[in-house]
Amino acid sequence: MTFNQHHQSKDTEWDGDFPEHPQRRRFLKGTVGIALAASLFPGDAPAASTPKWTMVIDLNRCTGCQSCVIACKAHNDTSENQFNTCVIISESKAPESSRALFTPVQCNHCHQPPCVAACPSEATFALANGIVVTDWAKCAGDLSCLDACPFGARHADARHGNKADKCDFCLHLVERGLSPACVTACPAKARLFGNAESPDGDLATALQRVDLVGPQPRQTFATSVNYLPRRNATKQGEAR
Amino acid sequence: MNASDNGQKVLSRRQLLHQGSLSLAALATTACAGKTAEQWSDPRHSQHPAATACDEGVRMVNSACLGCNARCGMVVAVKDGKIASVSGNPYHPYNTGYAPIPYDTPLAEGLRHSGSLCGKAHDLPNYVDSPYRIVRPMKRSGPRGSGQFEPIEWETMIRELSEGGRLFAHIGEDRHVPGIKELDKDDPINPEAPELGPVRNGFVFMAGRDQSGRKEFTDRFVKEALGSVNRVAHTDICGLGFRMGNFAMSEKKEAEFKADPVSAEYILVFGANIYEALQPGINTYGALVAKGHAAGTTRFTIIDPRATNASTHAEEWIAITPGQDGAFAMGMIRYIIDHDRHNKQYLSAPNGKAAEKIGHGSYSNACHLVVVDDTHPRNRKFLRMADLDHAISGDAAQACVVLDHDSQPQPHDNVSAVQLDRDATVTSREGKAIRVKTAFRLLKEECWKYTLDDYARLAGVDRAAIERVARQFTEHGSKAAVCQYHGAGNYANGVSAAYAIAVLNVLIGSVDRKGGYLKGGGGAGSWNVGDFDLKTFPGQKKSSGVMLSREKAAYEKSSEFANKKKAGGNGYPARRPWFPFTLGGLCVETLSGIDEMYPYPCRILFTYFFNPVYSIPGGKRFAETLKSLEKVPLHVSIDIGINESNLYADYIVPDITYAEGHYAFLTPHAPALKFTAVRTPAITPMTGETLDRRPYCLETFLIDLAIACDLPGFGPESIAAGNGTVQGLTRAEDYYLRGIANLALAAKIPEASSEEVVFVEHNYPVAAFRQLLQPGQWRKVCRILARGGVFAQRYDEGFAGERHQNGIKKVAIYNEELAAVRHFRNGRYFPGTATYNAPTDSDGNLLTFVDREFPYFLITHKMNLHAQSRTTWHRWSMEVFPENFAVLHHGDAAKEGLRDGDTVRLISRSNPQGVTARIKTTSLVRPGCIAVSFHYGHTQLGASSLPIRGAETLFLGGEKIADRNGLRGNSSLGTGIQPNDLGRLDPSLGNLPLVDVLAGIPDFSSTLIRLQKVSS
Repeated sequence: MTFNQHHQSKDTEWDGDFPEHPQRRRFLKGTVGIALAASLFPGDAPAASTPKWTMVIDLNRCTGCQSCVIACKAHNDTSENQFNTCVIISESKAPESSRALFTPVQCNHCHQPPCVAACPSEATFALANGIVVTDWAKCAGDLSCLDACPFGARHADARHGNKADKCDFCLHLVERGLSPACVTACPAKARLFGNAESPDGDLATALQRVDLVGPQPRQTFATSVNYLPRRNATKQGEAR
Repeated sequence: MNASDNGQKVLSRRQLLHQGSLSLAALATTACAGKTAEQWSDPRHSQHPAATACDEGVRMVNSACLGCNARCGMVVAVKDGKIASVSGNPYHPYNTGYAPIPYDTPLAEGLRHSGSLCGKAHDLPNYVDSPYRIVRPMKRSGPRGSGQFEPIEWETMIRELSEGGRLFAHIGEDRHVPGIKELDKDDPINPEAPELGPVRNGFVFMAGRDQSGRKEFTDRFVKEALGSVNRVAHTDICGLGFRMGNFAMSEKKEAEFKADPVSAEYILVFGANIYEALQPGINTYGALVAKGHAAGTTRFTIIDPRATNASTHAEEWIAITPGQDGAFAMGMIRYIIDHDRHNKQYLSAPNGKAAEKIGHGSYSNACHLVVVDDTHPRNRKFLRMADLDHAISGDAAQACVVLDHDSQPQPHDNVSAVQLDRDATVTSREGKAIRVKTAFRLLKEECWKYTLDDYARLAGVDRAAIERVARQFTEHGSKAAVCQYHGAGNYANGVSAAYAIAVLNVLIGSVDRKGGYLKGGGGAGSWNVGDFDLKTFPGQKKSSGVMLSREKAAYEKSSEFANKKKAGGNGYPARRPWFPFTLGGLCVETLSGIDEMYPYPCRILFTYFFNPVYSIPGGKRFAETLKSLEKVPLHVSIDIGINESNLYADYIVPDITYAEGHYAFLTPHAPALKFTAVRTPAITPMTGETLDRRPYCLETFLIDLAIACDLPGFGPESIAAGNGTVQGLTRAEDYYLRGIANLALAAKIPEASSEEVVFVEHNYPVAAFRQLLQPGQWRKVCRILARGGVFAQRYDEGFAGERHQNGIKKVAIYNEELAAVRHFRNGRYFPGTATYNAPTDSDGNLLTFVDREFPYFLITHKMNLHAQSRTTWHRWSMEVFPENFAVLHHGDAAKEGLRDGDTVRLISRSNPQGVTARIKTTSLVRPGCIAVSFHYGHTQLGASSLPIRGAETLFLGGEKIADRNGLRGNSSLGTGIQPNDLGRLDPSLGNLPLVDVLAGIPDFSSTLIRLQKVSS
């Protein structure tokens, strides 16, 4: 995702969502209904022991410190001014309680990823562990997946033939038994990460919460990244 | 992977470090989870992600960060001599939300955990590898400030600086430049004013980012080897205002107190940017507060002209008028006293024993009697028993006096129940009546000078806000406290504001109570004495005299005062203020002293890791000072780059970054905790080296200079060891590694296990010097190094019940020493209690009146991805926030006909040319204020091209950043604006930066500006 001052400017009037993109929304309407073919998944059907990686972001803990953003840059060599995760900065519109709002965003690893359906070269797919990845051997750099993503989470890497890049939960770290860089970095432990099949600790508690919500704009399909909304939200528009 | 504790367990390496292991990396590859071969091409294979501990050839060093001065630990992963990535130290409370793994956890287990770090830390590789880093020494080759420099050999530089001479004759400067040797004399610097000290004081050493380790090392050179009193840090711009409040409250014992982020139920945040800055930093304090908010256990209110990032979780943001924190606090004090919401039981305890009985570790002087009688020789002082009866002698004579419930005077240390709120007359044994008031009564009278409505009007808030906050603050027993920082009191007359804010904690009895207003717990043990004496040496000087800043010196004891009195009159005014009651560290007044050559001229100026022209409000004015060959005959800078200040230097000595050195012994800022984090290098120095292969850096420079000048304490036979030998001091490790051995001894550290010794020896560059220590000492040192320091005490262990064990014993509502300070212009006394006092110039004129044609306050702040002046090389931070803006309220923008992105000129009285900025509109700034962050608007540190000869050999970037014109700049390092350029100067004091005349606080809040639209 391109992350610049535009996202932080109040003129986006962003109240906890990604900036809306009209074209994106139209495109989305045409894609959400498409069932995903199993053949898009590599390898066998997930075995019982295969983890399902999931993340919950607690907005009551996030201080907007950007440590996750820099740690992500430090661990993933994304191209200049492109980010696999960023923290959207906005302002509460409630006149009686002006406050800053911070919402970390990234690829949500959708359970029915529109980007997968949109890719003409079948380069993007979900692994058995739920992580949506892009095969750069197949990616033709045509960027249809960028438009297809309802969250704007994908970006092109101009250094590598405009191939599509995005968050992969730091697959290269997770495979080695490490946590994603953003999770390890987060001082307030706002990013809870683990296996949805056998969660424990704060993640288990968070996954039980009835107020757990998906990312915005809301989708009909489930995502692997979800949020604990702000406790002090003063009006509907402010709550995630 | 097991992500059970929020992904904190990193990996299992139980068998990783058994004895005989070769290196972490070799083992890590077998211990890390195996990677399955992929059937697809992962983008990370094409890109270059950071190496991890699981990759081959990766070293790990547990050290300490210096992205800011918060003092977090930092585990550095190094691959091929380069920083690969950093992570938090799991043994360090600052990386783990005050909940580190136990200190005795074996390293093999410890490495399975990882702590957190803020974004500044993760940008370390870009900082260390900046092409604009200086790697070889340079000498000025054109006029000061022209940017003309040329390479100079190390040895030549050392000789020139020792001997002095006509060092710039070749560029047409026909003058003698003093060398260090010239100042190594005991003659008075001014025979007419011997109290100013010896000629030595003409040497001035100013430190920017200073930490324990290098601080003591430079003290050794400046104060103890050369004997100058002028070694000054930069406490004033760092945040002297709020510290002065604590300093007054604690009777000079402590400057750092903060609300307990773990146990406080309610925190009143006064001018503290807890989600973007602070010490401990956002990685610790902000994160703990956020966790408390999420759990519903901590509530907080922000009082600030700007809704800081913490507003996201705050109960309420109260947008106060800049410089008026004192009005709000005095209003709260009035409300609390008027509504009987103060802790009378605590305040009535006249001594420590009485306070302890009711569960407090400290007592206050609230019930002690103060003499309020103009005719009494001890007017304004606490009444002592000897004042009542001259026959009383010894300690008993000095006891303060309190009134018992029969209104009988009693020594404060011998009663338990006394009167708190009294105005009385007591009679001495000789029958003399003495009018007295309790300290509490004096505070009450002070807060009664204004009504609550007045305070609300002055603070620019609703009266209801003061009442509401005062009620909330007093609803939690002693589990409430203030967190005041830079914004509270960092302006002219800020002492009174910060003192009022500190006293709020006293009124509810929360000072050094769990959940209250806590000081730090100190270090784990001293490091400069023990097996090695790093404190004393033969021939050691004792510096004496008055500092150029006049800090901790009374004008009334000066020859200037005596002469003026002799000439008739009362001795006032002094030429510039003197500061007998200050925490000190007055870099602004040092530079102003240099500019005015008052009280004596500076002969040689050394600046270290310091950028005053950039970092001081109005600091631009000092460019003139530094340009003057008369005021600064010789200026040597020790730094990692050419900044806006050492652009005017005569010599620049390359220094290393904190990844390559900056050995340090770091103790906690408040609140609570007790530790000494230890920094050692993660990589070997990237600067050049001397003929005998020592790196160019601060230590090598001072050692070589001391040896060349024949100063004591450096060179062979300088450090006495406990075994009777005398060791040399010829490189940094001679000093610091022995310091770590001392720390191990003081903290009773056992020897490391063999696997930990192996780990250190295979991973840490400092292990190359292990022969400096006995094997047993080295093994103890290894235990510290493996853990990144000594983390002696967990949060809970710092308390006995509700009492902070390392807390202060006494707090002052009335400060006798403060009450003895006199204004430099007229000799008028300052009040001894907190009081309301608006920011004024040195003549006492209200700045809001004098500058009334400038309608906006300029307010400034730090950002979460930057440290003050030295993070423009943080490439990723600059990607996130490429520039800064002048941020103003929507309503003000509409009034001015401005829209987001418009360009305006910001104009202040002291900068009529102004500064051009892009604007951004918001609802998060108080109307009438314009907020600008620091960190941007650099003209140096690589932002400009400079005509430097041989630039390709002087900078790390070599030929990449050099061409035939010299150093080639990169304008992306200089985006945005620097608000300090607008800072208010004081025309009645040499047109130098405005400071508070009581404590020397630089003014960060009183600069008023107007806007001029340039373009849309």
